[in-house]
Amino acid sequence: MSVLNTRRALRWVGVLMILSLLLSACAPAAAPASAPAAGEEAAAAPSDELTRANTLVFAADMTDLITLDPAVVYEFGGTQTAGNIYETLVSFNPGEPELVPLLAESWEIVEDGDMWKMTFQLNPNATFASGNPVTAEDFVFSWERVIDINKSPAFLVTEVCGISKGNVTAVDATTLEVKIPIALSPQVCLSVLTFVTTAVVEKAAVEPNLGADFGESWLNDNSAGSGPYTLSSWNRSVDVVLDANPNYWGGAAPAMKRVIMQNMPEVANRQAAVETGDADIVQELGPEQAAALEGNPDVSLVKALNTILAYVSVNATMPPFDNPDARQALRYAINYDNIITLLGGNGELVQEIIPMGFAGHTGTNPFTQDLEQAKALFANAGVTEGAVIPFTVATATAPGGVDWATIAASIQADLAQIGINLEIQLLQQSELLTKYRAQELPMLLMNWSPDFPDPDGNGTPFANYEAQSLAWRNSWNDATAIDLSRRAAAELDPATRTALYGELVEYVQNNGPYAMLYQPTRVYAVRNDIQGFIYDPTDSPTISFWLISRQ
Amino acid sequence: MQATASAAPIPTRRVLSPNALMLRRFTKEKTAVFGLLVILLFALLAVFAPLLAPFDPLAQDIPNGLAPPSAEHWMGTDKLGRDIFSRMLYGARISLGAGLGVVIMAGLVGTLVGIVAGYVGGWLDEALMRVTDIFFAFPSLILAMAIAGALGPSLQNALIAVAVVTWPVYARLIRGQVLVLRDREFVLAARSVGASHGLILRRHLFPNTLSPLLVQASFEMGTVILAVAGLSFIGFGAQPPTPEWGVMISEGRNYITTHWWLTFFPAMAMLFAVAGFNLVGDGLRDVLDPRLRR
Amino acid sequence: MTTFIIRRLGGLVFVIFGVSLLTFFLAQLVPADPVAAALGSNARNEQVEAYRQQLGLDQPVVTQYAIYMGRMLQGDLGASIRTRRAVADDLRDYLPATIELTLAALFVTILIGIPLGILAALNRNTWIDGGARILALIGGAMPIFYVGLVLLGVFYRQLQWLPGPGRLDSTVQPPTNITGLYTVDALLTGNWLVFGNAVSHLILPAITLGLFSTAVLLRMTRSSMLEMLGQDYVRTAKAKGLAQRLVVGRHVFKNALPPILTIIGILFGSLLSGAVLTETIFNWPGIGRYATTSVTTLDYPAVMGVALVAAVIYPLVNTLVDIGYSVIDPRVRTH
Repeated sequence: MSVLNTRRALRWVGVLMILSLLLSACAPAAAPASAPAAGEEAAAAPSDELTRANTLVFAADMTDLITLDPAVVYEFGGTQTAGNIYETLVSFNPGEPELVPLLAESWEIVEDGDMWKMTFQLNPNATFASGNPVTAEDFVFSWERVIDINKSPAFLVTEVCGISKGNVTAVDATTLEVKIPIALSPQVCLSVLTFVTTAVVEKAAVEPNLGADFGESWLNDNSAGSGPYTLSSWNRSVDVVLDANPNYWGGAAPAMKRVIMQNMPEVANRQAAVETGDADIVQELGPEQAAALEGNPDVSLVKALNTILAYVSVNATMPPFDNPDARQALRYAINYDNIITLLGGNGELVQEIIPMGFAGHTGTNPFTQDLEQAKALFANAGVTEGAVIPFTVATATAPGGVDWATIAASIQADLAQIGINLEIQLLQQSELLTKYRAQELPMLLMNWSPDFPDPDGNGTPFANYEAQSLAWRNSWNDATAIDLSRRAAAELDPATRTALYGELVEYVQNNGPYAMLYQPTRVYAVRNDIQGFIYDPTDSPTISFWLISRQ
Repeated sequence: MQATASAAPIPTRRVLSPNALMLRRFTKEKTAVFGLLVILLFALLAVFAPLLAPFDPLAQDIPNGLAPPSAEHWMGTDKLGRDIFSRMLYGARISLGAGLGVVIMAGLVGTLVGIVAGYVGGWLDEALMRVTDIFFAFPSLILAMAIAGALGPSLQNALIAVAVVTWPVYARLIRGQVLVLRDREFVLAARSVGASHGLILRRHLFPNTLSPLLVQASFEMGTVILAVAGLSFIGFGAQPPTPEWGVMISEGRNYITTHWWLTFFPAMAMLFAVAGFNLVGDGLRDVLDPRLRR
Repeated sequence: MTTFIIRRLGGLVFVIFGVSLLTFFLAQLVPADPVAAALGSNARNEQVEAYRQQLGLDQPVVTQYAIYMGRMLQGDLGASIRTRRAVADDLRDYLPATIELTLAALFVTILIGIPLGILAALNRNTWIDGGARILALIGGAMPIFYVGLVLLGVFYRQLQWLPGPGRLDSTVQPPTNITGLYTVDALLTGNWLVFGNAVSHLILPAITLGLFSTAVLLRMTRSSMLEMLGQDYVRTAKAKGLAQRLVVGRHVFKNALPPILTIIGILFGSLLSGAVLTETIFNWPGIGRYATTSVTTLDYPAVMGVALVAAVIYPLVNTLVDIGYSVIDPRVRTH
């Protein structure tokens, strides 16, 4: 080859290099090396070497993850993460309904004038990951932070528990005193105190980093908890990496030195990840993926009932569903078997507003498809063949792993059989919620997940119009329902309380603006060398990573 | 880009030939004829879908969901037990209709803007071309997605979005064409004998932009079909239960390894339809505009 | 040359202004309340209202735009409604992933498109040519989201030859952040393990994303080569007895190059578009997926951020191509 040729070749290479260099030059400008907080953490990390064997890879759809601050988290991904880092006063043992001590050794509730006085004795051995003791002062700081920051879950503290600044005091280092209004139920409040919103953060660590957002952005990349794990890094929309807390006060350090919570929105990818062993545990599989994994020698399926309820609701002031007969007709028109078939084992028929697993759940499912009955009731309500009703549905996957649109199509076909034409309108969930909140939707398909593990977490929203939740959104202002839900929530005697909820369930079942459909099962696929995996929907966190080990 | 355009030699002979001659040349291109046949087949399927489809595309049979291809259901059934063959036929209606709709919308607007910009020239031309610059600066799918998302996800809004994204293509093409034609003898002659602007535009400029327009339109058909399906796939286009091909692939994405027929057939339908339009586009270009032969 | 660049930059400023105006206008069309979306289904009315005020969404539209533009000039793209972070921070996290994927796809495109195009042209009307043309036809007509799903199904799930979604195996820690491109950073830090892992994760998405542009480049190279091969000087050179290879190397390819380079610049834009779909399927944490989620949640400050970045990148790349062009062919500069 001649010199000339080489020169030409070089020039050609040069052009490509200029191109690629300039292209990659865009990147550093946009991505200055940010010093990850992981650096400090790494210094304090356990000396045990990290291996694949002591690393747990957990894959789930965590698209909703927007914060890791325990005072702000309210979505699955966030509560799951924060729940393994931060601890609350009391807790549930997986699968058991009784409250157990966590950071509080003991507690006492007494009437004090027009308030309930709740006194908690903190466990003197409890320490933060930093090694400092957990004090009552830290709790006061943490709860006042929740009230100041006032994000989505703050109402649990301020309204459900009725806690305000000044009502929480540190009597001494290990004694915390809380006063709540006598009208509220201390039992309900205690169940709120199991939720991660009320978890303690270390005052000494957070206070210097408060900034304008009360420390939220700092807590997104750092942790200051007393739990078995600490936050190593959060790579937005990719994964959250947790490291075992070597100083964990509550027992031996976790077997899994590192937990990688991977964001994997596509269900087919999650199936593949557990099949190949890329992930040890994957969350939420559809019926077909579960069926495909059935019989896989390396993987076990764990199915657990959620506390979510899926329902159709109608607006009780808009025709035709302002007429109770039309509402009852709707409940008789739906083919519930088809919906359960679609779910392929990922959901159980539940036709009441209290889910299985909660006190007050009655287990009665009075409705099966009866088109004659439905037709007659619709006729009573003046609804004739050819009626058109808009039916609003979210563009997302319903709990249980089937698209909302698929379930809606099935209901649409049911009503078509008696000449009623449901016009499906698909909206993004956000848009749907906006219109739902504005009381604008005649009929829609949705689900509800209780904010705290108590029947009141469903009773008030579904029945009490004045709580501005579901009953309000459906314009259902019913004095009987409101009264029942109030009395049930405030009742202290467990048996009477359960009976009151039973009464409420039956009343709403036949008069309310809802056709309750199903309670979904959450399907996990777990590699067979993983032990100690428990999913408990009423616990916070729902999965305790520190109980997990590998054979 | 502009550099190449101006560096390319300017054609000096008329590109339009008598129809018969064109047809003969077109039929010589075997691949183009094949493409045309494919398109015609899809067009027939689309038009006669109600007669050809063995099932109602929306009729459910939930217990018979996810059934593999059989004598009864040639392409199997989906989750709700709907017949995929019937849905694919109706999908042809939607995809071809969508393609046609968008190409006409965008083509009309783009041509109008292009003719005005090229003929009037000056600051108006400059302004209009800067506007097209803005549209070209966006990666088309991101802009289409933003528009469709803002308008609310529906097939109709997806079509509007794709039309908004694609009109500048025609505007630039036609403007270039008009710029070349504007100073040609027959236009100057017409102007010298006092022909009005309207007449010049109608008689002399517009007809001469038709052949590049036709070539562009047939390529755009394929692009638009893919774009609309892409929007539907990520949820910003046609909505379930509409039997649109992109929606069908999206609904079947979770079954890709367990129930392949849910996605395979709509994907193949799309491949053939789009390839058909591309082949015809190639053929048309070779016949109408040999200068651009590639 | 300098005036040429200045003019292009001036155009760029105008385009950015237009893009911001257009996206801002789009944001006003949104029928639903993005704030309600961000706060989730259990949030109550007062919370929604408070967040609206915090974001300044209760101000008149013109004021909002003025505030937005004022901040943008200081490099502040506002806060994302959904992630509650600065949009600029989000983009800094996600942009490198998209650039890496796009460059990898461009690499695939060039690696396959140009040689195959040349080969097809040199062996016109043989089976090689036929095969190349069929590949181009399929690549140009196949919906890439289906291609991605199939590739993942076959090579990851069934055969397990290549890794699945994501930029790295979950247990592999990303390299020290220098450019944000994992392959480049791994090379710079000499971390071969991470480099290999990052490359293996790039293969499937790069092929998926690059398929369409490969088809276009292949056709372009083939036709450009054919045109040159038909020119008189090539025939003369051949008649003089130069080996065919040398003819190709010396004359034809050089002359066929300008249109090929132009098309590469244009293809970059289509790659950015395709990244939206590819990133969704491959769980790729880039701006395409960020844009999709943002549009879904009506997070228009984030959408505007993505649009602005894309609107800067694309003309910038084309300007670079033009400059690269003038290196090859100095005549261009005079235009």
